[in-house]
Amino acid sequence: MADAPSSISSRKGVPAAQAPGNPVRDVRGPIKRLYSSVRDGRGFDIVLVAFPLGFLFLMAGLPLLYNVLMSFQEVDMFSLGTLMRPFVGLKNYRDLFAQPETLPILANTAIFVAGSIAGQFLIGFGLALFFWVNFPGASWLRGLFLVSWVMPGLVVGAIWNWILSGDFGVLNFVLREGGVISGNIFWRSDPNYSLYAVILANIWLGTAFNMILLSVGLSAIPADLYEAAELDGANAWQRFWTITLPMMRSTIGAIIALGLIFTLQQFDLFAAITSGGPNNSSNVTQYWAWEQSFRQYDFAKGATISVLMIIFVMIASVVYVRSTRHEVRG
Amino acid sequence: MTETNRNRLMLLIALVMAAIYLFPLYWMYITALKSGSEMFATPPTFWPSVPQWSTYAFVWESRGMGRYLWNSLVIASGAVVLITVLGVGCAYVLARYRNGWVDVGLFLILMLQVLPASLMITPIFVGFSQLGMLDYPRLAVIIAIAAKSMPFFVVLVRATFMAVPMELEEAALVDGNSRVGAFFHIVLPLARNGILVSAILIFMQAFGEFVYSKSIIQDIELQPASVGLNSFMGPNTNEWNNIMAYATIYVTPILAIFVLLQRRIVSGLTSGAIK
Amino acid sequence: MGIRKYAVIGALALAGVSLFGLSARAEDVKLTLWSLDRNIQPAPNLVAEFNKLNNGIHIEYRQIQFDDVVSEAMRAYSTGQAPDIIAIDNPEHALFSSRGAFLDLTDMISKSTVIKPENYFPGPLKSVEWDGRYYGVPKATNTIALYYNKDMFKAKGLDPSKPPQTWDELVDAARKLTDPAANVYGLAFSAKANEEGTFQFLPWAQMGGGSYENINAEGAVKALEIWKKIIDEKLASPDTLTRGQWDSTGTFNSGNAAMAISGPWELDRMTQEAKFDWGVTLLPVPKEGAERSSAMGDFNWAIFASSKHPEEAFKALEFFASQDDKMFKNYGQLPARSDISIPETGQPLKDAALKVFLEQLKYAKPRGPHPEWPKISKAIQDAIQAALTGQASPKDALDQAAEKIKAVLG
Repeated sequence: MADAPSSISSRKGVPAAQAPGNPVRDVRGPIKRLYSSVRDGRGFDIVLVAFPLGFLFLMAGLPLLYNVLMSFQEVDMFSLGTLMRPFVGLKNYRDLFAQPETLPILANTAIFVAGSIAGQFLIGFGLALFFWVNFPGASWLRGLFLVSWVMPGLVVGAIWNWILSGDFGVLNFVLREGGVISGNIFWRSDPNYSLYAVILANIWLGTAFNMILLSVGLSAIPADLYEAAELDGANAWQRFWTITLPMMRSTIGAIIALGLIFTLQQFDLFAAITSGGPNNSSNVTQYWAWEQSFRQYDFAKGATISVLMIIFVMIASVVYVRSTRHEVRG
Repeated sequence: MTETNRNRLMLLIALVMAAIYLFPLYWMYITALKSGSEMFATPPTFWPSVPQWSTYAFVWESRGMGRYLWNSLVIASGAVVLITVLGVGCAYVLARYRNGWVDVGLFLILMLQVLPASLMITPIFVGFSQLGMLDYPRLAVIIAIAAKSMPFFVVLVRATFMAVPMELEEAALVDGNSRVGAFFHIVLPLARNGILVSAILIFMQAFGEFVYSKSIIQDIELQPASVGLNSFMGPNTNEWNNIMAYATIYVTPILAIFVLLQRRIVSGLTSGAIK
Repeated sequence: MGIRKYAVIGALALAGVSLFGLSARAEDVKLTLWSLDRNIQPAPNLVAEFNKLNNGIHIEYRQIQFDDVVSEAMRAYSTGQAPDIIAIDNPEHALFSSRGAFLDLTDMISKSTVIKPENYFPGPLKSVEWDGRYYGVPKATNTIALYYNKDMFKAKGLDPSKPPQTWDELVDAARKLTDPAANVYGLAFSAKANEEGTFQFLPWAQMGGGSYENINAEGAVKALEIWKKIIDEKLASPDTLTRGQWDSTGTFNSGNAAMAISGPWELDRMTQEAKFDWGVTLLPVPKEGAERSSAMGDFNWAIFASSKHPEEAFKALEFFASQDDKMFKNYGQLPARSDISIPETGQPLKDAALKVFLEQLKYAKPRGPHPEWPKISKAIQDAIQAALTGQASPKDALDQAAEKIKAVLG
């Protein structure tokens, strides 16, 4: 960090930020230079970033690499404690794609992710817009919608399992009384519905998260933009498309990227509602990977599936990072 | 339509939507009060014929819930403190610059939380056992949760810092503040609300954390409420009323606090107070 | 460290013991024990009783969930954190003993005056064996039979003293008993895609002349066809595919199913909850006079090879075995012992059921033992689910399963 005090150069892209308050001080000794850099220069930024990233690398990065490594090895349940296991090249990947259930499960994952995100986002956006209109009680009621966020996944799974039950489930009862269906739908046991049962529960769970972040995003849009547009005669629909959506771009990007990651991590609901069944009709990669590891004790296969998921998330991360390019600094 | 009528209509719609959305929660409360046979009755009853209030006392006593909730509180608080200390600075820096390194940092942070806890637990357990961390199981869980939830926290708090006008920090620097001083005296107070919201969201998540606690904390005295709930939810159960009573006791306090707090937080955010 | 200090510790320990009866003394050998039993089941109670003996050994108990037993044990063992004693499901015993993770108890058993192999039922005993050596002690045993609601039999004009004896009679009775208007299914069982599904299906396959090595035998295909008929005609709830045995039998107890296939672990709950007259009969066979068969369930005790106190751990197992005679009365579970006559409980329904289960137990066959049992079991579960959801015919599904199992067996 010898070139530490060059904090000016680090301000690229923020022209207004240049120069003031950063007199060059590298005439002092190296220790002092380091200290002053940490206190007052780029070193401050580096310290702030280095600790968390180091921590994350240790606690999340290494376990991730452990999984990637396992996907190229022959793993035995009793060799979990070591890293030195026989390498088998791409054999695990070839085996995986030779299995007949692989493609349907990947397709299920895509449906689950797309369906969950679309549902959560649209309902969340709708609610956020609705509560954006300030009416008495709006903030209280909005608060109530956030409770699904507070609920532990385990509890949500138990409740939905109970609601979706075919013979005693209250959902079937409501639909029957409402004349929507004539016979019970076996949400958990009918291969045509099982995946959608979990999606339904997941939408319920994730809507709160979408709504609060979108609310925050909406509140950050300057009101004068709307006033100006109204003066120009733009109707509500036009204002939504020309102001709200463009101004929300970075928020939306973040929410969809995070939503994708959360959706891919959704595990409790599958465990509680369908266990991926019947006949894998509601199985998705994250549950399947766990099943391979902890039901079949085929840890290498489980790790291989998790590598596929990493690729999925890479795409999401790129989307997120790109979305931040449109951010407007306040 | 007059203003009052519009407000009334909005309120009505909001109430109906809330009623639909909160139905699962209602069902949890109501199932907890039902008797064994009423739970399975068809058609289901929407109000228990004879509310079994004693279920709560029974579950609280028989499951030793006081201890479980205390452990949940300790773990969630610890995780929030650790995440906040590590995450705020990281989010600040990532919001301050706009270059390739920031892109890489954000990308890495997102990538690192790709796998569900159920797949991360094996390597984490192996690592902790090698470091001897398993002797301090609650601390180990706090660290594991922190690693799991920090990326989310960073992304949220970064958005908050983006809303803090750069000019204010520049002005502070012109006035002779150091970077450290400007950060603590100007930027941090302005981002306070956003950090608070994010910390609360993290707290809620950590309060319900299950997978790590289950595997790492083997001593029943130190286990959190989620593990306690799971211990009577296994395949051999249909005590749905007891499970729901447990869930009710588990989530109600946190729910109440949250509903009370959120009003301040959300109104603080939406009124543009941080602008 | 002087004698006085010991004396003080000893006095304190004595005071503690007399106060709480359970607290460990400083010099006690500490053992850890993992099991899935909850407080109304044997393990934690046996541990508490054992600790009360104050024989210089103190056991710490940890409850784990059924689904987590193997993965927790495996992870703990491979990182040197394994407990001393564990209760493990019998089909998974070989997974550990074949790899030397469990301690070979053969020599200790041969010297023991309490645990004698000849006192155990052959099925459970076989599940703790590997290569002719004993790697554990059966903890309890169970099997499945047919529960039926006598009141419903009467209401539908069936003779409650003549429950169905063959598969055709079972389907017939189920048809007569099913009453959608009253929310009653004829039968409740479990075809869940986990070990429970395998556990419920294997007896049928075995009665039809099949086995896990020969899962596509003609009789096994016939069995799966009958299951499919029961599901397709809605004689059992479609949720049978995702519901475990305990939940399924819950619907029988609440009067929403007229018959249920399940085990003796249900007895205590049923005696409490079922508000009707019920009985138990042997599992129906393919046709009259056909060979009977059943599944053998329940857990075994084992000591991990990594235990630092194998002698003490074995002493604990000896104590547990010495309490086997009280198992049915206190916990409603069946000891895996042929030398114990179980005393009457004084509850007529429970005692009558016990007789049927003891008879059924004679035909119980263990699953495996095979170190890769989970893979075999998965193939069977997949076949059941594929057939019952209509994605493959029973024959094709079982042919496919046989293929997969052959690959595992080598």
